[in-house]
Amino acid sequence: MNTRSIRFRLIGLYAGLLALVMLLFGAYTRMRLDHFLRVVLQTTLEHRAEQIVRDILPEIPKRGEASVGTEIEKRFAPAINDRFVRVTRRGGQVLYLSGAPNDGNFSPEEVPALAGNAAQAFTREQGLPKGSAMLITVLPGSVAAQDYVVEVGTSLAASNAVLRGLLVTLAAGLPVLTGLAIFGGYFLMKRAMKPVRDIIVSTQDITLHNLSHRLPVTDSGDEIAELSKVLNQMIARLDESFQHVTKFTADASHELRTPLTVIHCELEAILRNRPLDVDLREALGSLLDEVVRLVRIVEGLFALSKLDTGEARSERVRFDLAKLAETTAEQMCLLAEEKHIRLACETREPAEVEGDHSRLKQVIVNLLDNAIKYTPEGGGISLTVHAENDSAFLEIADNGPGVSESALPHLFKRFYRADEAHSREVEGAGLGLSIVQSICTAHGGTVSIRNIAPTGCQVTVQLPKAK
Amino acid sequence: MRILLVEDEAKVSRAVALGLKAEHYAVDTAKDGREGLELSVVNPYDLLIVDLMLPVMNGTELIRRVRAIKPDVPILVLTARDALADKVTNFESGADDYMTKPFAFAELLVRVKALLRRGAVNRSNIVQIADLTIDRVTHQVQRAGTTIKLTSKEYGLLEYLAIHAGRVLSRTMIMEHVWDESFESLTNIVDVYVRQLRVKIDEPFDQKLIHTIRGAGYTLSDSFQE
Repeated sequence: MNTRSIRFRLIGLYAGLLALVMLLFGAYTRMRLDHFLRVVLQTTLEHRAEQIVRDILPEIPKRGEASVGTEIEKRFAPAINDRFVRVTRRGGQVLYLSGAPNDGNFSPEEVPALAGNAAQAFTREQGLPKGSAMLITVLPGSVAAQDYVVEVGTSLAASNAVLRGLLVTLAAGLPVLTGLAIFGGYFLMKRAMKPVRDIIVSTQDITLHNLSHRLPVTDSGDEIAELSKVLNQMIARLDESFQHVTKFTADASHELRTPLTVIHCELEAILRNRPLDVDLREALGSLLDEVVRLVRIVEGLFALSKLDTGEARSERVRFDLAKLAETTAEQMCLLAEEKHIRLACETREPAEVEGDHSRLKQVIVNLLDNAIKYTPEGGGISLTVHAENDSAFLEIADNGPGVSESALPHLFKRFYRADEAHSREVEGAGLGLSIVQSICTAHGGTVSIRNIAPTGCQVTVQLPKAK
Repeated sequence: MRILLVEDEAKVSRAVALGLKAEHYAVDTAKDGREGLELSVVNPYDLLIVDLMLPVMNGTELIRRVRAIKPDVPILVLTARDALADKVTNFESGADDYMTKPFAFAELLVRVKALLRRGAVNRSNIVQIADLTIDRVTHQVQRAGTTIKLTSKEYGLLEYLAIHAGRVLSRTMIMEHVWDESFESLTNIVDVYVRQLRVKIDEPFDQKLIHTIRGAGYTLSDSFQE
């Protein structure tokens, strides 16, 4: 999976955002619930304490201190209601202490005495050595010049259990919900991104040779349809300007033919029919050579413009590239022998390809011709053909001087010559490799060149095998 | 020999006509298809040289009409287009040979001469020139009784030269017949093979049969004077 794709990144972003929002929401909920539970508990506790201070303590002068315990038991039954009540005379003497609660969440004896003076009412949370913490409200009261402190409390176990339950629910729900969001997002994005994917695939299919193709435009009217339309307009403009260039090249090379014919024929006539002095004859001969060179260039350009318009593959036949390489090498071996170059043709296996037989033969001819031109006398050239997976490979390697690294990337450009000083001696217009590349591309193949150790260079032509 | 040249480009027409006249041919010129047709109907020409892109009536149409009246006159087509489809169409409509502009006049001359003597191609199975014997069935080559071993390309080249013995053949013509269009740009391959052929056919013997015609091409002949 492409981790940089929009789909992947958007899903990641959404999932992260969702998880964060849910975490914040969970924390807030827990905080508010905690607060709410405490407020409820505290209000109840304060109310109880006030009742004791207001109703029961004033009875002490009339009925004695012992009546406080009886009265509290009678009215509130703290043990049954899981409450803690303690009435202490200022100074530390305990007047009343409630019994062990039903739920056993705390034992009243273990609740530490209040430290310091309770000048006014307050509520404290009291940790216990065992069992859960307690919430205790402290309220001072005064009867007949005697100060008392009333403490009413309850265990926090129940509210803590609620909070824990909430936490567990949230913790379990968060990954499940995030997972669901990712899963749903994946499919949603897949559906949303499909038109984009389609555009990518269609655009990849459009090359110089089928610029007339257009991308499919959905009638959804959305941004994707808009994008397709804009891309189509761009392809149309490309198509148009490319056609202009191709037509111009064809027209230009066509228009050049007539004047070149005139120059050629007239020069020939002068050289043939007039008695001329040596200098003039020499000069006219040199002019004629240049005209011939010009003719080659025009023909090369014309060939390229035809290849550009897609004529490179006018014929589609199935044949064995290895066999073609062998016969072509045989037809050209004398050219190599002239320069005492060994031309070795090694074809290990048949390599069936489909395409234009004579164009692909031209590829081999041009490449072998180049290799022979640039390999010094006594060198060697090897031609190999082999098949691998879905491709047929044709390799032509020589042990000449190789190509300078700076020239390598430009070798397939039109009119490019690797070595200006040297190139004048070697014939050709600098179009041979461009023609090779055009033909290979039109056949869905590639051509590349690299230097090899210890010396020389190797051209590799890759073509798809016939199905 | 009388030749009709139908070509609308005045300068090309002039250069070709002058060149042909220098070679002692009688040349009439026409500037468009209709004029060409009229002239070819009236006069008995030995050869027509026709440009394809003509005003009034194009070359293909002209050839078709001329062929209907004169089925035997050789026709050489000149064109600035070299698409294979054109080639096929014109051979079908009756052209005998085909040249793409720009061409060398020497090349044109060689082809003109070849067309004018077209009937005389040696079609027998055994071709004999001086003491050279070529068996076209077994591909056996002998000179003065000695068998000479040739590769298939060398044989093809020798046979093409031999059946047109005495005629000048241009490098391009040899290329077209012995090799194929893939070698178009490689005319030096012809020189290399001719050189090789000479080593085998001529070098061991006193009488040389293969001759180079400067600026034109090669010929195989037993009666050639430099």
